[in-house]
Amino acid sequence: MELLLLRGAAFFYLMATVAALVGISVRHDLPGRALRWLLTAGFVAHAAGLALRGQTVGNVPVTNFGEALSFLALLLVGVFLLVQLRAPLVALGAVVSPLAFGLTFSAVALKGGAQPLPPELRSVWLPVHVGLSFLGDAVFALAFSASLLYLVQERRLKVHRGRGALRHLPSLETLDRVSHTCLKWGLVLLTLGITSGIVWAHEVWAGVWARDPKLLFTLFVWVLYVVLLQGRMTAGWRGRWAAQLTIAGFAVLVMSLVGVNVLGLGIHGKAF
Amino acid sequence: MSQEIVLVGLSHHTAPVEVREQVAFANGRLEPALRGLVAHPAIQESVIVSTCNRVEVVACGPAGDEVAAAIPGFLAAEHGVAADTLAGRLYTYRGREAVRHLFRVAASLDSMVVGEPQILGQLKDQYAIAASVGASGRVLHRCFHRSFSVAKRVRSETGIAARAVSVGSAAVQLAKEIFDRFQDKTALLVGAGAMGELTARQLLQQGTGTLMVANRTFERAGEIAGELGGIAVPFEKLARTLPMADLVIGAAGGDGYLLGRGDVDRAMRERRRRSMLLIDLAVPRSFDPAINQIDGVYLYDIDDLEGVIADNKGARAQEATAAEQIVESEVDSFCRWLEGLDVVPTVVALREKIEDIRQGELERYLASLGASLDPRQREAVERLTRAIVNKILHAPLSELRRRGSDRDEALYVEVARMLFRLGGDRDPDEED
Repeated sequence: MELLLLRGAAFFYLMATVAALVGISVRHDLPGRALRWLLTAGFVAHAAGLALRGQTVGNVPVTNFGEALSFLALLLVGVFLLVQLRAPLVALGAVVSPLAFGLTFSAVALKGGAQPLPPELRSVWLPVHVGLSFLGDAVFALAFSASLLYLVQERRLKVHRGRGALRHLPSLETLDRVSHTCLKWGLVLLTLGITSGIVWAHEVWAGVWARDPKLLFTLFVWVLYVVLLQGRMTAGWRGRWAAQLTIAGFAVLVMSLVGVNVLGLGIHGKAF
Repeated sequence: MSQEIVLVGLSHHTAPVEVREQVAFANGRLEPALRGLVAHPAIQESVIVSTCNRVEVVACGPAGDEVAAAIPGFLAAEHGVAADTLAGRLYTYRGREAVRHLFRVAASLDSMVVGEPQILGQLKDQYAIAASVGASGRVLHRCFHRSFSVAKRVRSETGIAARAVSVGSAAVQLAKEIFDRFQDKTALLVGAGAMGELTARQLLQQGTGTLMVANRTFERAGEIAGELGGIAVPFEKLARTLPMADLVIGAAGGDGYLLGRGDVDRAMRERRRRSMLLIDLAVPRSFDPAINQIDGVYLYDIDDLEGVIADNKGARAQEATAAEQIVESEVDSFCRWLEGLDVVPTVVALREKIEDIRQGELERYLASLGASLDPRQREAVERLTRAIVNKILHAPLSELRRRGSDRDEALYVEVARMLFRLGGDRDPDEED
């Protein structure tokens, strides 16, 4: 049942991708509305699937890599839908939807039966730490999407290509602002995620955690984002340069997520 | 004698702004110039068209060669310009060509920005001045009014006019791809070109917060700023004003770039690399194309804007062809009218018409009575009718021939053609 729900969600995300792509090439609000409905449907199915899995696990279902990807996709779609309430940016959906689809699809492909949580992780800290960290990752993914679109739009404007399939991208100013706002929120969430992790780990392992490669990697990403935000706010970094840095920052973040897991390093090695 | 229309002038196609501004007629100088022109023995009527993109003298007289020869010297003398400055820059159109050129100018087919609407108003104003000093007569009156209706036809029947408007909207559309709101933006208009003003107006309609206007002559900048609700800034301080501008519209003609890469580079540092959109409407261009290479700066010239405008090349070519066809058919109809004003063909036509009537009536009469008339009687009737016709026609024909050398020739010829319904162009649809 959960697998069916997950597949359904992946299907909705795929359809949403199509709707978003249509949305950036025609001037009509129908694809935009379709995008929101499809993503909402996907989100509901996805959430239901993960809730079922959560029941089996007895906590937030992030016991293996696949589950973690799936959870990240759910949060990404959720954050995007929230942002849509304030700023309906169909074009952003054209990056977010395929991302969500890819993540969910991989999760389905990886499957991996639910493993019972080791007793030391059965804690109220798990949803707090995992929730905050993943929410931070999702928001950074949104910042990345906006920056990616910024570079595309910037390129278009530079080479004077006024028409073509991408003519309904948001303005540079909008993309820059969305990216900036997401960076700020992402940093807050990441900071809270790291802090909660440290507090929790301190209770459970007392000391061992400090050399955890995942933590070190994440701290590096954190410093990177702090520098970027600082540069934006005081040195006037903006536009193309800021977009490139945001994308670079996200690339490091993804490496820390995937790399640590694939290599199975440290206490995050088994799952995330 | 028949009248030949001659047009001598220069425009943005043939002369740079330095030359154009030397021969442009300032306010108040048109009237004496027009009086001077019609005082010339060869010139019977004259209208001067003087805008920032063209100076043209339209004149007519019985001897086209003499009219065409008189105008260049007049222009040089009037403005104290050496004749060889103008040589090679002046073009001369005569007869049909002159009429076609005037119609194309009125329809804005010859404009720097094809389809811009200002030219028609300027033409009307300057025709009115010529009419007020009595420099224009029947021929040019008809010719100019025709050109106005050609312009209207072209505007309403083709999509040419939409293109000028679309330059402004293309600029707005571009700005919207960079900025998400206009309220906190500042636009800088450089130069006083009509298209620049139009574009600035559209940006203001979008809610652009502040408009600054810079122009070579500060007074003109003040005028435009006053009209649009902006602030005039001194031209010399252009580079220093630049950091404040998010949108820069270049509409100043002239050689050399007003803004170089260095200027914009400095401005971008000062404005902390916030995006800047520069739109160069001027031909030749006012902004160095290298500016586009600066990070965060987007420079579009008039050709790039055309690319933004959604209509494709085929459609544009079609509109142009349609407009040229309208012009051509109007030129035909005007030239037919003008030829009709000639005495000789009028005399011939009048004779033919009356002769036709005589023959027709005679045939009808002979057909019913023919059998009872012998050849001699027939001959007598024939002679009788011919004599009547000749007697009736004698006075009007000799009067027409005598008037042929008058200034009012055209009037008499036209009246004669009208009274006897001699065909030709009979719809005097002269508006205004």
